[in-house]
Amino acid sequence: MKNIFKLFLVLSFLGAVPAAAMDVMEVVKKANHVSYYKGDDGRAKVNMRIIDAQGRERVREFIILRKDDGDDDGKQKFYVYFNKPADVKKMVFMVVKNMDRDDDRWLYLPGLDLVKRIAASDERTSFVGSHFFYEDVSGRGIQEDTHAIVEENDSTYVVESKPKDAKAVEFTSFKSWIHKATFLPIKTEYYDDQGKKTRSYTALKVEMIGGHPTVTAASMENHQTGGKTLMNYSVVKYDVGLPDNIFSERYLRKAPRKYLR
Amino acid sequence: MIHISETATRRPKVFFWLSGLLSLIMISLVTLPSVWPTSFGLLNPLQIDTDPENMLSPDEPVRVYHNAQKKEFALYDMVVVGVVNQTNPQGVFNKSSLTDIHALADFATRVDGVISVDLMSPSTVDNIEPGGPGVVKFEWLMKEPPVNDAEALTVRDKAQNLPLLNGTIVSEDGKAIALYIPITAKNISYNVVEALKSKINEFNGDDRYHITGLPVAQDTFGVEMFIQMAISAPMAMLLIFLLMWYFFKKASLVVSPMIVAMVSVITTMGLLVITGNTVHIMSSMIPIFIMPIAVLDAIHILSDFYDKYPQFKDRKTTIQHVMKELSAPMLFTTLTTAVGFASLALTPIPPVQVFGLFVSIGVVLAWFFTITLVPAYIMLMPEESFADFGLDHSEGDSNSPLARTLNGLGRVTFCGAKMIIVAVFVLAGVAWVGVNKIVINDNPVKWFSPDHEIRVADRALNERFAGTYMAYLVLEGKEEAQLSQFADGLKLGMQSHGLLELIPDVETFSLEAKDAKELVNLLVQKIEQRMEIVSDEDWDKWDVALTWVGEYLGRGETFKNPDVLRYMSRLQDYLQSTGLVGKSNSLSDVVKTVHRELFMGRATDYRIPESRGSVAETLITYQNSHRPQDLWHFVTPDYKKSNMWLQLKSGDNRDMSALIDKVDQFIEDNPSPEGITHNWFGLTYINVIWQDKMVSGMAEAFIGSFIIVLIMMTFLFRSLWWGILAMIPLTFTISMIYGFIGLIGKDYDMPVAVLSSLSLGLAVDYAIHFLARSREMRKKFSDWKETSVAVFGEPARAIARNVIVVGIGFIPLLAAPLVPYQTVGVFISAILVLAGVATLTILPALIRSFESLLFKKDVT
Repeated sequence: MKNIFKLFLVLSFLGAVPAAAMDVMEVVKKANHVSYYKGDDGRAKVNMRIIDAQGRERVREFIILRKDDGDDDGKQKFYVYFNKPADVKKMVFMVVKNMDRDDDRWLYLPGLDLVKRIAASDERTSFVGSHFFYEDVSGRGIQEDTHAIVEENDSTYVVESKPKDAKAVEFTSFKSWIHKATFLPIKTEYYDDQGKKTRSYTALKVEMIGGHPTVTAASMENHQTGGKTLMNYSVVKYDVGLPDNIFSERYLRKAPRKYLR
Repeated sequence: MIHISETATRRPKVFFWLSGLLSLIMISLVTLPSVWPTSFGLLNPLQIDTDPENMLSPDEPVRVYHNAQKKEFALYDMVVVGVVNQTNPQGVFNKSSLTDIHALADFATRVDGVISVDLMSPSTVDNIEPGGPGVVKFEWLMKEPPVNDAEALTVRDKAQNLPLLNGTIVSEDGKAIALYIPITAKNISYNVVEALKSKINEFNGDDRYHITGLPVAQDTFGVEMFIQMAISAPMAMLLIFLLMWYFFKKASLVVSPMIVAMVSVITTMGLLVITGNTVHIMSSMIPIFIMPIAVLDAIHILSDFYDKYPQFKDRKTTIQHVMKELSAPMLFTTLTTAVGFASLALTPIPPVQVFGLFVSIGVVLAWFFTITLVPAYIMLMPEESFADFGLDHSEGDSNSPLARTLNGLGRVTFCGAKMIIVAVFVLAGVAWVGVNKIVINDNPVKWFSPDHEIRVADRALNERFAGTYMAYLVLEGKEEAQLSQFADGLKLGMQSHGLLELIPDVETFSLEAKDAKELVNLLVQKIEQRMEIVSDEDWDKWDVALTWVGEYLGRGETFKNPDVLRYMSRLQDYLQSTGLVGKSNSLSDVVKTVHRELFMGRATDYRIPESRGSVAETLITYQNSHRPQDLWHFVTPDYKKSNMWLQLKSGDNRDMSALIDKVDQFIEDNPSPEGITHNWFGLTYINVIWQDKMVSGMAEAFIGSFIIVLIMMTFLFRSLWWGILAMIPLTFTISMIYGFIGLIGKDYDMPVAVLSSLSLGLAVDYAIHFLARSREMRKKFSDWKETSVAVFGEPARAIARNVIVVGIGFIPLLAAPLVPYQTVGVFISAILVLAGVATLTILPALIRSFESLLFKKDVT
């Protein structure tokens, strides 16, 4: 709670509140943009602490590279290179996020010397054992849900989203608290069919980086299993000039050191 | 004692009022907090305890360990639902059955108290399989019900292909399904099961749903315990009443022992509850134990009164006479019985301790009520009502079939004394053979009768699945090395890997850090700082160093070591080969399965990969599922401790003990890599532990109370010989009973174990009465031949009546639905009858043979 309060303080300095009422799709699109499409590309070092219900902690550290295919907030690519723990070092997870079809996902396992495509059957599975889902990392297509503003105050829109294909997901609805000035979702809660909160995402820290308000600390809590994962972003850069070819199967085995160090 | 009986005869009404008041207070003290727990928070309500864990005290190390591991590996008590279909050739793997099962699982996740994320059913577990060339696929095994029967078979094939599911969720014959529903607490299982049953009732297919699992068994147990108390105890009361009515022919008179029994039971159970003790399988038997014992003394009083009344024709004088004659033997029989039961307090099993103590208290209370209320009751009856009392008896009683039989028996014991002694030796020899054949074994599920639905479900599931009895084998890596040792090893490794530049850092940090992990973290930070400023070429070099350091720390993760995982696999293969284990599930199965699926599902790739890194990759792949937390049922996140889940088809302690020995043997014969230690938990294991404690504890308790009773006997008779003599019938009886148990192959289980102490206290009573009366009567006659005729008169009749009343009094336990009650009922009856017979045959035979020794003093 204290963190949220601090967050609001930071956010309130980031910009003025627009006066006009906005259409929900506009809000959702903007939120989607600031969450996943800032700049032409981006790079960050992520420290992930997975804490289970018993308070036991595991740490993963990876570099995440992103490049957008165009300016339309559509197709984009992610390259996730693992540094820690040492025994999965050099493991790579790559995603090509498609608008017209299911995303393509690859996993490179250096010890087994295997490149595997991960079938698109379900993106709502755990991202390397954390409480984040694969879809949380690469972003959920805004066309997959119907959205409505259910609440609005001076600083935030509360958007409720319901899946178009209810059978494809485990939730019945989710609510996003979107900061009006920056359009950053600062909190997202997922509910099951009984209205019980199952998971919640919280932005814990926002920094201005390269002119973009950026979430540099976030948590995802699972209220059913009772654990949470904390992600801390450091060395965040935008418009790095990532070449397109590193997002290919060839580079899974031979990591592009230049962009990872 | 005579004094208090006299007071009671003077103020009979006061004693009845006081007893009534006491009972009323006890009843209110129990009822008020049980019915209105909030208003009477300070008082203890009636608490039922059906948790078999409570056979061990809460601070028992085994139990503490059990609970700690359950928590650490996030394991819960489970309700198991087995679904069987015997009409469809595909079993439950058809569209309609799977649709129902899907609906049931979905319903179960919403039931209050169900831990939905850990629920295991086809729709809530993950399937991992190759999804085409170069593709690996994670998906729910059965996200939606199948659209046709063919698709249903696909679900089956997928599940059977996954070793963790085959035999656990899907039966080995591929026709049945089991759902494992974890619940937050055992005491909500009743509500969960009721909810499930109501959902199952909505289905109209021809599937059979078997609901079982420990919490269910416990709940059912509680209900059956009440049935026992509500039916068996009153039935015993009625039976005893009828028998006494038959013997004393006066209903109004035999009401008094009934009052004694009732007040004793109410007071004892009241004390049990208000002192905060729980009603457990053992303590629920307290009423049925106290009742027959409570009437024992009353029968002696009435029997003697019945015989003496015609002599005095005055109830007060008669009572005084009777009490004078019986006070000493009654006190001693009470004390010996109390000691026998109290000795159970020496066993290390809390429910048995409580049972022993409170029966012991009840016995003493019953004695007090007997010596006060029975005389008081007689005084309250009008003198005229005794007018016909002695008349018909003088001929009637001594001519009754019982009297004639006893007279005959008396003669036989005199003439055939030697024969009897020889027979005793022969029988003792047979008993010895039987005792050596005794098999110590128990299984709480078998406490239910064979046709009970829990036993039916148990059989149905264990026939089809790998086993419903769970045992867990914990394997633990060796303790972490000391920091200085770790640092030395690190430096040594750095030397051989050309990382000399790092050695000074290790030296610095080993002074700062508090453990190995912190040392490595400091080292990593330092290397990373360097890497930020170096050239690309140097960066690669430092990256190698960084990896090496990280991996060095990783060596502490015992269960990522391929050698360790292979060792676990070998142990599992061995366990399977013993035939004691239906199936074992471990981290090594997880690794092997994921490895196989990563390599296109090829059977040859069902193996542990070669390096730690490869193992780590299979594990991280496994965690890409919907249920990443499943991994922590098998290993702790630090990979230092692993849990092997064994499914056993038998819950017999004998089988579990054999398994423990086999594992010890395997580990001794096959030294583990990394010096792994092992330990057990799980209820099947706990049962073995309390059984072992019970067996050794009972032996101590029995020997202890045997010696105490022998001392008491020696004191009572002022002679060691007479003391030993008093112990002979019960020794003989107990040997015979245990010999018999060994010969017929009945398991030596919990109820059988407590029998020895039970019988000790009860069986000695007859000997006390017989010997006390014999010695008393011998003074009036010149030799044993004449005395024996008299002894086989009224005293033998009193004993015989007692044997019959008490022996039959326990028979209603046979009507109880739980096997331990039946066992106790049968054997207690058998023990009492046998002890009665032994008293009336062996003792006179021995007195006849050793007359000069025993009556030396009197002769001289």
